[in-house]
Amino acid sequence: MDYRDTPEEAEFRASLREWLAAAIPAGWDKIDDEEAAVRLRKEWHRTLYRAGYVGMSWPEEYGGRGLSPVYDAILNEECGNLNAPPLPSVGYIGRAVFTYATEEQKRRFLPPLLSGEASWCQGFSEPEAGSDLASLRTTARLDGDHYVVNGQKMWTSGGQYADWCLLLARTDPDAPKHKGISAFLVSMTEPGVTCRPIVIASGEAETSEVFWDDVRIPVDQRLGAPGEGWRIAMTTVTYERGPADIGFIANYRRTLRKVEAIAAERGLLDRPETRKALARAYVRGEVLRLNCMEQLSLRVSGRPPGPEGSVAKLLWADAEQSLQHLAMDLLGADEMTGVAADWLSSYFTSRPVSVYGGSAQIQKNIIARMLDMPR
Amino acid sequence: MLKEVAAQIAGSAGPANPGDLRTLDRAAAWRSLAQSGLLALRTRDGGSPAGSGVEVAVVAEALGAGLVPVPYLGSAVLATELLALAGAHDEAEALAEGGSRTGVLLDGDLSALAVLPGDQAVYGWDVDGADGALALTGVRGGYQVVRVSLETGFVPVPGADLTRALLRSDGPVGEASPTPVGSPLSAEDLSRWEALALTAIAADTVGVMRAAVARAVAYSKERVQYGVLIGSFQAVQHMCAEAYVQAEASASAVNYAAWAVDELEPAEALLAARTAKAQCASVAREVTETVMQVFGGIGQTYEHIAHVHTRRALTDRQVLGDEGVQLLRIADVRLTGE
Ligand SMILES: Cc1cc2nc3c(=O)[nH]c(=O)nc-3n(C[C@H](O)[C@H](O)[C@H](O)COP(=O)(O)OP(=O)(O)OC[C@H]3O[C@@H](n4cnc5c(N)ncnc54)[C@H](O)[C@@H]3O)c2cc1C
Repeated sequence: MDYRDTPEEAEFRASLREWLAAAIPAGWDKIDDEEAAVRLRKEWHRTLYRAGYVGMSWPEEYGGRGLSPVYDAILNEECGNLNAPPLPSVGYIGRAVFTYATEEQKRRFLPPLLSGEASWCQGFSEPEAGSDLASLRTTARLDGDHYVVNGQKMWTSGGQYADWCLLLARTDPDAPKHKGISAFLVSMTEPGVTCRPIVIASGEAETSEVFWDDVRIPVDQRLGAPGEGWRIAMTTVTYERGPADIGFIANYRRTLRKVEAIAAERGLLDRPETRKALARAYVRGEVLRLNCMEQLSLRVSGRPPGPEGSVAKLLWADAEQSLQHLAMDLLGADEMTGVAADWLSSYFTSRPVSVYGGSAQIQKNIIARMLDMPR
Repeated sequence: MLKEVAAQIAGSAGPANPGDLRTLDRAAAWRSLAQSGLLALRTRDGGSPAGSGVEVAVVAEALGAGLVPVPYLGSAVLATELLALAGAHDEAEALAEGGSRTGVLLDGDLSALAVLPGDQAVYGWDVDGADGALALTGVRGGYQVVRVSLETGFVPVPGADLTRALLRSDGPVGEASPTPVGSPLSAEDLSRWEALALTAIAADTVGVMRAAVARAVAYSKERVQYGVLIGSFQAVQHMCAEAYVQAEASASAVNYAAWAVDELEPAEALLAARTAKAQCASVAREVTETVMQVFGGIGQTYEHIAHVHTRRALTDRQVLGDEGVQLLRIADVRLTGE
């Protein structure tokens, strides 16, 4: 693998840098109000899209630019370096739609997803179906040209701000549990959809529970064939785990810069202990980035993402959580006395990274299976 | 006996979920502690403490386990012991009766009892219901305990710990306000105080950790995924086992430190206390994080009790010095003989 930018990539990187320097909204990371922050992220999504930076690796007919995913990686790196707002995560839901949708569905759903006109959430998990997703109980019963959905979803992140949901529901109660599930593309404004925000330990309403009461979905909004929901879900989470699709590299770099700044402000930069800890955090980030780059280049050469996404997910969770530990160690009591309350909040935000998209334990199970270990 | 009484009070005065913190009857809990004599353990009876360091640790652990939101450490241990050592016995008795409460003032980084006048803001820690807090001021040949009114010049701050009240002074606390209490303390007195204080905080942390691990283990026996209890997965067993090992190791260190408080020379007692505090501070974060992990998604939510453990443990870690502070002092003793 050649790590150097091609001339085209180098040119892209240079013009991106220039564009970012002018486009990043000043003071975006000082916004305290949650709704204002959500608005800003939506607005940033649209700004990026208008400049052609969202869905670069998507085919042109659905609003993309048909470029290699390496461009997404460059975008991630530069956004991280220049402290840009978080990148929109169109990747993992979009990929599932892209892979399984009919031509008509693609034309209807993908362009607004990429442009940021419509935001999406992922309605998979339920109170009793977390790690064991296939045991989900929400049902979708066929009634003429509609499905009627009933059940409760939990952990639907961003449900309260989303326009659309990629929903999993059981369409065949008699089939074996992995085979009776189908996927749907549903508007969150449909009558019978009730969303209640869930506040996590950080104090932020990151996620939500969604109640589905007799919600009617037109049959043409089923994604894939009946019973294909499990495969679709696995594609989605593989992309979710996988590299570069969710912008964590950029976020990590940005946070590391801030942690370095804390050490500098507090005059800790001449302590060998601190220098080593900061360097170790850099190494963790690099290892994560390089692993993701490798996976990406395999993807460019045509291999679909697979269980090796679990490696990246574990590296990511570890890097993210270790970085928050380091910040806490540098801030000391300030994180406990409210002086650095935002860092305490970030710390608690880092904890579920080893839970969502498949817990750390589940990722290790997947890797052990990939290694073909005795069961 | 003491243990049962403390556990019983903790059981009825501790939150089952964070929402309970708004409604719990803290005053009733404080009255129960006073009536059972648990606030009087460090008052002096003919010169020696009414209750030993071991008894204090037992109560502190029980209240930590229950995440009880009352200032037992602040008022009944840290402040009462300071008063008793300074010979301010009437004041100590008054606190033991439960009618009034006094906290302590800590440095801006929470790592030591504040020495006044200082040049920075200080914190009143664990001051729920307290109208004053104790600090030190330098006098010839040692330190004098002083009392600072919390009525003015302090504002409540939302700290990480949801179970203890925290106040920040508007600025440096000057010479004008503090009132001397009792007679000056010797260096030995202060070592004794610190040994007890560190041990009691570490005992609180042990309670928090043990209770958190017990909750995770109990959950693993209820929660079903893939048709089986999650406690049957070796990954979950190992998480719980590792957390358990760290909590138990910490308990052993605290038990010794608690005994040492009254039985050993101050310097030795302090070394034992620093050892216990260093151990607790070094493992508490990971233990409580592991517990959150065992609970899966639900353990990440604000409405769940798991993060209340984490928050209390993380704050305990800082109070009177985190692992780094303790290790350096231990190194001084071991390597330089200071
Ligand atoms: C902040 C947040 C955001 C989320 N966002 C979304 C979202 O947008 N959409 C969505 O659908 N879901 C989302 N989730 C749900 C997430 O995917 C689940 O929480 C996760 O899969 C774990 O499920 P659970 O919470 O039911 O825990 P459980 O499955 O009950 O797990 C409890 C514990 O048991 C362990 N365990 C379970 N099974 C095994 C096993 N076989 N082997 C070893 N250990 C095991 C787990 O690792 C965990 O430690 C989110 C969760 C959180 C916390």
